[in-house]
Amino acid sequence: MIKRFSLSKALVWAVVILISLVTLFPFYVMIIMSTYVSEDIMVSLQLFPGNYLLENLKTVFATDFLRFYWNSTYVAVIATLGGVLVSSMAGFAFAKYRFKGRKVLFGIVLATLMIPSQLGLVGLVMQLKGMKLMNTHFALIVPPMANAFYVFWMTQYMKGSVPTEILESARIDGCNDFRAFFRIVFPIIRPATITVFLLSFLGSWNNYLTPLVVLNKEKLYTIPMAITLFSTTYRNDYAASILALTLATLPIIVIFAFGSKYLIQGMVAGSVKG
Amino acid sequence: MKKNRLDKAYPYLFILPFFLIFIAFNLFPILYSFAISLTKWDGVNPSVFVGLENYIRLFTADPLFYQSILNTVILIAVAIPLQLAMGLLMAVLLKDFFSKSRGFFQFVNYTPNITTPVAVGLVFAILFDTRIGTVNRILMALGITGDYIDWLGQPVPAMAVVILLLVWKYFGYIMVMFLAGLSGIPDELYEAASIDGAGWWKRFTHITIPMLKNTFVFLVTTSLISGLQLFAEPQLLFSRGGGGVVGGPGRSCLTVIWHMYDTAFKRFEFGYGAAIAYGLFLIILVLSSGSIKNIVKEED
Repeated sequence: MIKRFSLSKALVWAVVILISLVTLFPFYVMIIMSTYVSEDIMVSLQLFPGNYLLENLKTVFATDFLRFYWNSTYVAVIATLGGVLVSSMAGFAFAKYRFKGRKVLFGIVLATLMIPSQLGLVGLVMQLKGMKLMNTHFALIVPPMANAFYVFWMTQYMKGSVPTEILESARIDGCNDFRAFFRIVFPIIRPATITVFLLSFLGSWNNYLTPLVVLNKEKLYTIPMAITLFSTTYRNDYAASILALTLATLPIIVIFAFGSKYLIQGMVAGSVKG
Repeated sequence: MKKNRLDKAYPYLFILPFFLIFIAFNLFPILYSFAISLTKWDGVNPSVFVGLENYIRLFTADPLFYQSILNTVILIAVAIPLQLAMGLLMAVLLKDFFSKSRGFFQFVNYTPNITTPVAVGLVFAILFDTRIGTVNRILMALGITGDYIDWLGQPVPAMAVVILLLVWKYFGYIMVMFLAGLSGIPDELYEAASIDGAGWWKRFTHITIPMLKNTFVFLVTTSLISGLQLFAEPQLLFSRGGGGVVGGPGRSCLTVIWHMYDTAFKRFEFGYGAAIAYGLFLIILVLSSGSIKNIVKEED
């Protein structure tokens, strides 16, 4: 009896570990290839780390890679901070006030959840052309701040976690609603803001289609654009372009390692009903 | 009294930033796109109003539109059941047999989902490269195949690689969702069934599966919607070898968004490109109308 149990347990472990190894395999190959001279990758299969990582790093950083990193970072940070602020304010209003038009406006937010983001792409590009905002980071920063899912998620979160009496007692203390929101409510909803922060940062960092159609000046490129550039322009240096891929995904994985709890909460909340 | 009026204004002030940005840069472009879809426009010369001509062309005279829908549907019709099965398997195993290391395996298998799609496409292009790809080298070293397999150069293997990529990318997300769903099932149900003599398999089919119905519906809906928006991964997968073959070998992996991108931003048919986006939106609307009803009902 005991023996049978441990046998099935070993089988379960084997299945889970095997699947996890397959999941990690592409990452492993990517990292290993980053440590070789291109010629070595061309000639034979490499499964253990080489010693050319530093040289490849030099090659990558001799290009504009740091600039692309900076572009992606500052775009993601501003878009994300704005998104957190805009969505938490709207979520607060929808969760804690009764006002005329609330139902209709929230209905609009919900309907927006079903609209694919590519629907307005042609219109957006033409609008940006008219506003002389093509080849700027504007389209990567401002439009993503208004995200219906974040508003929806903030609303649901605040309905459950922010006591309604808070506003009343703050008003009695002579505190206006904005002050009350930033001083009292904002600290309470920290877990929700972290979730939105992570989702928004991820969305911004990984965004490919918008920069693809909006930016055609190389110095403005963000990381996804930069690595496509690397894999075509610098394609004779295979290893260096693979190292660029590794460096592009690294920040995301590090951030996720620290915030996975909040991020997974956020993803689960998106399912509305677990 | 003046103070009272200000109190009434607060909620509107709080939603103002969202709706300002939303109207200016989300809603307006969507409506503008529709207006553009009724024109013939290359972006340089003045646009010409053509009414529904683009839509008539889309639904009656564009074999690529139907092919792109068919491709996308085939890709996700194979990928979704596979990723659901694998995600469910992992979720059930992690819940029943792992407690300490559950978080670790969850993290590992969720990582592909957050990885930059462009990088995913390029890494898979490297893995499945004919001459220097890791997959072919391993297969040949193990003696499974004697010759290089041209994964990305033929329609069927190319689609298989895209499907593999999709399953790899999404099963971890599905696992996380199923784990959340599983945690909502009361333990008493399982205990009662065990007392009645139900084995693991019977408990799985009679309790777990029915109790996860809502999660299934949600996951199938969202997988369909996100699957129909597939673009970056296949585009990058086939960017390396072929010098920019649109849609991969025989256009077997041309997705709807790829078709739209190519039409509007490579061939500068902005009016027709916008019409393709609306055509896709119509399809998504039909597919997701059920879920919208559910969420709205939930709200009231």
